[in-house]
Amino acid sequence: MLFFRLTNRCPAAVWLLSMAACIFFCVPATARKSQYSHLKSIAGDVNCIRNFAPRFSNTLYSASIDVTTHHFSGILFFKLMPDSSTRVVFTNEMGVKFFDFAFTKNNEFIRYYVMAKMDKKIIVKALRNDLELVILHQDLSKALLLTDSVYYYTAIPTKKGNNYYITDHCSKLIRIEKSSKIKPVVEVQMLNYKAGVPDSIDIEHKNFKFNIELKRIEKDAE
Amino acid sequence: MLMYKLFLPLLISGICLQAAAQHTGYKPLTNADDFRRQFIKASQATQSIQCDFVQTKNLSMLSDKIVSTGQFWFKRENKVRMEYKKPTYYLLVINGNNIKTKDGQKENKVSAKSNKMFDQVNKMMIDCVQGTILTNSSFTPAFFESPSSYLVELTPTTKALKGIFKTIDLVLDKKAYSATGMEMMELSGDNTVINFTHKQINTNIPDAVFSVD
Repeated sequence: MLFFRLTNRCPAAVWLLSMAACIFFCVPATARKSQYSHLKSIAGDVNCIRNFAPRFSNTLYSASIDVTTHHFSGILFFKLMPDSSTRVVFTNEMGVKFFDFAFTKNNEFIRYYVMAKMDKKIIVKALRNDLELVILHQDLSKALLLTDSVYYYTAIPTKKGNNYYITDHCSKLIRIEKSSKIKPVVEVQMLNYKAGVPDSIDIEHKNFKFNIELKRIEKDAE
Repeated sequence: MLMYKLFLPLLISGICLQAAAQHTGYKPLTNADDFRRQFIKASQATQSIQCDFVQTKNLSMLSDKIVSTGQFWFKRENKVRMEYKKPTYYLLVINGNNIKTKDGQKENKVSAKSNKMFDQVNKMMIDCVQGTILTNSSFTPAFFESPSSYLVELTPTTKALKGIFKTIDLVLDKKAYSATGMEMMELSGDNTVINFTHKQINTNIPDAVFSVD
């Protein structure tokens, strides 16, 4: 009733209510628009991103992990196993193991060990997802090649969004993004590849403070 | 706080360890009381220790190892500094109730008294070095000997430590009752061995080495 009284007596009220309705309905719709909606499909070989899968053999990284206000440091160890799976072990500097995971050739996840105090579902899941992005054993059969006219975006569909491998026409890896339906939630940089292994790997979560920084350690330095 | 809850019990273990697998070459010690007296006496006479160390992390399932090296300092009362130099830098300093850690990225300071866990861990670490670990209720000790060494097997009794370690073994020189190495056995089957070399006892170590400021 109030609506009709206002609109009948005051045309300005119609405009104001229309604006309010527009703000209420339209702005959230705009906010929910995918940041990837501008990408266009392009023909090409999605498998070229396999070139950026690190060729870990027996590789050590100095690891720094920040989770909200907590800081962890230690050594992250990647090892290519005879069955082509990649084993990932994180210890602190004094040698105590925090987790021991494996990613099979078909990207199946095996948890060999997680220290009881670190064995929280949300932590293990985040670590698994982040390491999957790096190791790149993911199935590319449903991947799509897109472009923003500057870079190639190789999009691998996931349950909640896509994993985007963003490259300079597949000649250089710019970054990796794990996205929700509308925006990136994790960003990964892998820089300075030497013999197929990046010197540094940085993983940044966008929704909460969970950052992983890895700097390669030459094993000869032992 | 989470970091210390997770890491400090582990740091402790780094201070307290080595032995041969399954105690090969060792037999149970028949006169443990005499050993206790001699160990405590020798420890009380130790005012300071300065040495190098080599730490070997054996990853059982991977048939691989990670080797680290660094320096270790101890000074009465309650001062410890452990500095890893390779393959990555890491510093741990305990000075009374204050603890400082530093890695390539960040420095952290904490008071052991601010948290029960810190206090427990701090006490264990100092106990290992000062020779009072045998009276620490966080462990049940068992004693072994070989012709040249004693081996003290420490079995954790607290929930926090039992969740990580099966045993922590301390190997002592039979003449000097001084630690030559340590080994921690994890529940996962991995172990970490630390061997001490170039040991200097009772040299003058400036307090600044243990600064936590």
